[in-house]
Amino acid sequence: MNELCCEIGYKSVNHAGEQLCGDHVDVVEQEDGSTVIVLADGLGSGVKASILSTLTSKIISTMLAAGLSLEECVETIAATLPVCSVRGVAYSTFTILHIIQNRTAEIIQYDNPHVIFLRDGENYDYPKTEMHVGGKLIYRSLIHLQEDDVMIAMSDGCPHAGIGIGYNFGWKREDIISFMEAMNLCGYSAKVLSTLLVDECFKLYGGEPGDDATSCVVRMRKRIPMNMLFGPPSNRDDVNRMMNLFFAKEGKHIICGGTTSSLAAKWLDKPLCPSLKFEGDIPPIATLEGVDLVTEGVITVNRVVEYAKDFVGENNRYDEWSRQKDGASLISQLLFEEATDITFFVGRAINPAHQNPNLPINFSIKMNLVQELSEALQKMGKRIKVSYF
Amino acid sequence: MKMTVCIGSSCHIKGSRPVVERIQALIAENNLSDRIELGGTFCMGKCQQGVCVTVDGELFSVSPETVNDFFEKNVKAKLA
Repeated sequence: MNELCCEIGYKSVNHAGEQLCGDHVDVVEQEDGSTVIVLADGLGSGVKASILSTLTSKIISTMLAAGLSLEECVETIAATLPVCSVRGVAYSTFTILHIIQNRTAEIIQYDNPHVIFLRDGENYDYPKTEMHVGGKLIYRSLIHLQEDDVMIAMSDGCPHAGIGIGYNFGWKREDIISFMEAMNLCGYSAKVLSTLLVDECFKLYGGEPGDDATSCVVRMRKRIPMNMLFGPPSNRDDVNRMMNLFFAKEGKHIICGGTTSSLAAKWLDKPLCPSLKFEGDIPPIATLEGVDLVTEGVITVNRVVEYAKDFVGENNRYDEWSRQKDGASLISQLLFEEATDITFFVGRAINPAHQNPNLPINFSIKMNLVQELSEALQKMGKRIKVSYF
Repeated sequence: MKMTVCIGSSCHIKGSRPVVERIQALIAENNLSDRIELGGTFCMGKCQQGVCVTVDGELFSVSPETVNDFFEKNVKAKLA
């Protein structure tokens, strides 16, 4: 197996006063392990731009993922996009990042600011080939990928940030590059890098963006496996089998749930030491030799799901979980930032104590939590495996 | 004397945090820190009676409202 994987994160801010974003990012994973990422920027802003960019990115990603040629994609777009009644053109610029087998990046760019490529932390001026497809000038590049390569695609709302307010000509490309080089040094994840870039644009616009601004960051990184055990097995006789499989796995081990961790402690024959240090409103964590993190179950995981949903969307609560030391924040740091391949070992035992109607927790909630968490993690580009016991 | 407070899901919802903080404060107020060892534990399987607190193995059901009373009767009295 290829030891690299791509981590994808994107964020947009809307044109001031608009509810819809005129930029759209679409990510399609192919069965052979390749990924097609399209960032499209529709003409104008608001509903019209949103329709143009959504159509463009969906058409390109779907067609490319199905193995059709770039020429056919561009022709299809030109033939299908609705023509703007004011300007008389159908127009949406796009950037395509095609990550082939996590080894090669094919970058195809049409009229968007050129993708910034950071290699070994520095700007890398990659070769580009000019192509004329359907009367459009398109740049195409093929780059062999290395660990820690970072690709930053953006819509023109980013370099235009601050025009007439802070800067005469907007946020210059060289300045964006040095900003991202500095941020990249901190080892932030793709989602955080894209958020930092777009937030900076928002500031430069003085809080009232004159255009939709979007950035999409792809970061090549080593695969890091991680395992999470959640709940005791429905059949008590399966405890040993579950523990054997869980502890045989490579990577860090997280255990959620009081009963579950007691069973693990028994299996490991080590003492389980719950701490009494309360951090926020999440129950305290515990320590157990041989396990990287032990937390309480449903309340903690429920909070992790909240953080995960926010992280794939608005990313407003990053400051909370990235710094705090409670169980939910620690799990979030491990799963969202460190891990790339996560295996869940979920026990389906029903905790008799939780069948009290006065408690806000029950069995179906627990099963939903795992479902929702794995969906959010998949959106972050992680490989998820769930085994039930 | 060894005291443990359950910090499992169910007891957490019923208020194990205020109970622990109150007990810690009471231990400090009464200068009993060298005589009482306070620890946490995950679920003891007695969630209906939460918040579960054990004193030398004996189980008590405590709530944030009754924690002062409990401490007077079952902890201080025994140590006196």
